[in-house]
Amino acid sequence: MGLDAATGAGVPLGRLRLSAEEHRRLRHQARLRRELTGWLFLAPMFACFVIFLVLPVIGTVWWSLRSGGLGGETKFIGFRNFTDLPDTVGAGTAITNTLVFALISVPLILIGALAIALLLARIERGGSIYRFLIYFPVLVPGVVAALIWLFMTNVDFGLFNEVARALGGKPVVWLGADHALTVLAILDVWRNVGYWALFFVAAIIGLPKELYQAADLDGASALARLRYLTLPLLRRMIFFAVVVATIWGLQVFDTALVLTNGGPGTATTTVIYRVWLYMFGATNKIGVASAISLVLIIAILLLTLVQMRLLRGRRGGD
Amino acid sequence: MTSTDAYKGPAIELIEVAKHYGKTMVLDGVNLDIAPGEFIALLGPSGCGKSTLLKLIAGLDELSAGEIHIAGRLANYLKPSDRDVAMVFQNYALYPHMTVAENLGFPLKMGGVDRDVVRGKVEAAASLLQLSAQLDRFPDQLSGGQRQRVALGRAIVREPYVFLMDEPLSNLDALLRVEMRTELVRLHKRVGRTTIYVTHDQVEAMTMANRIVLMKSGVIQQVGTPAEIYAMPANIFVATFVGSPPMNLFSGRIENEGGRLLFRGPFELAVPPGFTPGPVTIGIRPEHVALCNGGEKSSLAAMIDAVERVGPDSYLRTTTAQGIALTARVEGSAKAREGDQIAVRFPLAHLRLFDAAGNRVPMGEES
Amino acid sequence: MVATIQLDAAQHARKRVRSRRQREFARHLALGLIAFILVAPFYYVLLASLKDSTEIFSYPPKLLPIPLYLGNYRDLLWDTGFLRWMFNTLFVATSVTVIKVFLDSMAGFALAKIDFTGKRIVFMLMLILLMVPIGALIVPLWSLVSTLGLINTYLALILPPLANPLGAILMRQFILGLPRDLENAARLDGLSEFAIYWRIVLPLIKPGLVVLAVITFTDQFMSFTWPLIATTSDELQVLTVGIAALRAHGGANYGLWSASAIMSLVPIGIFFFVLQRQFLARSLAGALKQ
Repeated sequence: MGLDAATGAGVPLGRLRLSAEEHRRLRHQARLRRELTGWLFLAPMFACFVIFLVLPVIGTVWWSLRSGGLGGETKFIGFRNFTDLPDTVGAGTAITNTLVFALISVPLILIGALAIALLLARIERGGSIYRFLIYFPVLVPGVVAALIWLFMTNVDFGLFNEVARALGGKPVVWLGADHALTVLAILDVWRNVGYWALFFVAAIIGLPKELYQAADLDGASALARLRYLTLPLLRRMIFFAVVVATIWGLQVFDTALVLTNGGPGTATTTVIYRVWLYMFGATNKIGVASAISLVLIIAILLLTLVQMRLLRGRRGGD
Repeated sequence: MTSTDAYKGPAIELIEVAKHYGKTMVLDGVNLDIAPGEFIALLGPSGCGKSTLLKLIAGLDELSAGEIHIAGRLANYLKPSDRDVAMVFQNYALYPHMTVAENLGFPLKMGGVDRDVVRGKVEAAASLLQLSAQLDRFPDQLSGGQRQRVALGRAIVREPYVFLMDEPLSNLDALLRVEMRTELVRLHKRVGRTTIYVTHDQVEAMTMANRIVLMKSGVIQQVGTPAEIYAMPANIFVATFVGSPPMNLFSGRIENEGGRLLFRGPFELAVPPGFTPGPVTIGIRPEHVALCNGGEKSSLAAMIDAVERVGPDSYLRTTTAQGIALTARVEGSAKAREGDQIAVRFPLAHLRLFDAAGNRVPMGEES
Repeated sequence: MVATIQLDAAQHARKRVRSRRQREFARHLALGLIAFILVAPFYYVLLASLKDSTEIFSYPPKLLPIPLYLGNYRDLLWDTGFLRWMFNTLFVATSVTVIKVFLDSMAGFALAKIDFTGKRIVFMLMLILLMVPIGALIVPLWSLVSTLGLINTYLALILPPLANPLGAILMRQFILGLPRDLENAARLDGLSEFAIYWRIVLPLIKPGLVVLAVITFTDQFMSFTWPLIATTSDELQVLTVGIAALRAHGGANYGLWSASAIMSLVPIGIFFFVLQRQFLARSLAGALKQ
């Protein structure tokens, strides 16, 4: 294009050519063009984000204040779903189960991951083979993992009881009411420890080596190094991992469904499981299901905010 | 671009150009005319707005007020690629995933130029900049100096009306920088296009530019040839920014003593008539400080603290009898040692007077 | 004197090397054990899938699949909808991945490089809702999708995952890492915004695109909760739901179940093994940068 085509012939030079108003108008036009471009790029993804994430969040709030069933009429009933929550069948159990589950699995996952990471970070050769093997269970869909564990926990010929028998002990009913939730938690540990192990390996490798060299010179033992150097330096990463692993833990559903069908009884019915039952099970109560979902969402949002506050505080903003 | 070639007026006019980010004023009322073919240096400390001004001329940023005319046409609302300007960036901004040849040819390709023509121009630019051997390499395989030349080449192939350069040499090592300085000046003489060169290095500006635009805090302090700026600084900032070691400054007052005007400060100096009494600052450059024998009336005694031998010259760092620091330049062969007592004189012609606001007050016969 | 000191130094060096080697050995031992524990179940299930029903229940268990029994696999592939499920999963996962890479890189480009009103709010919103999973939204999501008439369509499986803001946030991060003046140079060269996105930004964030693609694909492959309720017809079952159905319907056919478990690992195993070096290195680098 060039200067010729782009503008018209000039008026006397050395003087402002356009009035302030004309400038304002043209500047406004240019700004509009820029805004439009920005939104055009953002729009497709943002549309999906709004329609399939934001709207459903609002929808959850909306329906949690109503009662009724899917495809039928719903009535506004205020906060009754929430006040009735303790009495709602299965709701309390679901929440308790999920919390216990998280309480067992998350610490085990992270401690295990840290231990593995400490070993992996220092290994000299063959590291990538271990990484691949340790990470492998992460890639397994929950239902498949549950099937595998279903197999291993089988009372008669499952691997666990074979090992127990070989060691001279008695076979255990792994999926009975006493142990089912724990087994579910251990399953989760088995699945996720590899993910966090690699996460921590990356973090450890990123730590400044000079500090460790100084510690070596000072004669620090491996345990002292861990306690006074590694763990404090990794504090923020560990905290991040705790929050994220917990949020993931709260969503447990597929493994509970396939491993034990939520049982025996309601021993392994988790929050999402209960929501699903209320939605598609015998009792079609969309209001209650939404209320329980909302509790979960709020828990996740709170955890997210805590996390953001802590990360932001140290780094001073994004 | 026949019409831009035929255009006889200023190549670039900046009229009341202002730019602010939120509450911060980065450029305030900048007015400047640049003649075609000039090599203009935008000089100033970091944060003075020179890079911002360059980006406004290029169209990479929006003006808050004022107008920019390029070849007589209003350019405010033109896209950067429509302004007929080319820019060399401080960090070169080469496309990492393209070869040197592709980098050089890219602007032409985008302009829809025929492929053979593109190749011709690319090869011409490459040979001009001694890059012909690098045409098939990628930027990360080149040295800093080579990358800089590719950035230069990319601007050259476009044959723009104006070249804009944003501290292009600041990432090179000292030796290379001096080499490239002469290269750029030679190129400018050969290609003859208007060039605006942003730098914070006053030596660069002084050696390369036809005219220097000195800026501070978004305001132009002075526009002039290197000689003018050096000899006739408009204010204290200009006087101390240009020239190394900087001008010696002494503050004091001009007082009316029975009809005679006298400068009273660390020393006394008779001042020709025509000045208003009041607080002033007097300046003189180190090379104009003259050594003399102590006895003269207007001489000043000083003791040498240090002698810096810099090649053919020496700088004497002294302290006057009144306790003021003074730097004088003498020939390298002069015998001077630490602790020596010397006497200096300030030839009137080289004295510069600055008023209370820091602006220079002309002193009549000046050289 | 000097001789003895030198001897001690040499002894010291040998001791240090020895203890270093001992520690390395201990590490290998520990890691080997852990890796074994993590991976052994797969072998166990592989064995089971290759045994017929009588063999499975036998005690003591055989460590090698002799005789080899492929009946489970035959039953799986022939009598169940496994192949159909696999196709559905791969189709959906690939579609989501391809679409998401483009949508998210465009969104990331806008968030990183273009100034427009509401940018901060949009970004904040994405950060806040980042961790809210589809699982917590099944009630309204199902209602929405069925109102749109999309239940039991591929779109029902493809569209909702596109809402996850992780991709856009990730892309924004990568694009922010590009040199600042690069787009300025491109603008001066006459590129439109879209051309800058397509010809300059995209090629330069390829590692980021790969990371996003891998994350998205594996997530989609493993997703269960939403496909469970979004598709009820057999035609559209995805792998995870189909396998769960096997568990729910068939009474204790361990052979079939193990076969399904092993078969489902094949694509992800291949996919990951091929990308293994790149992905592990890149996700580590990405994590380090943040």
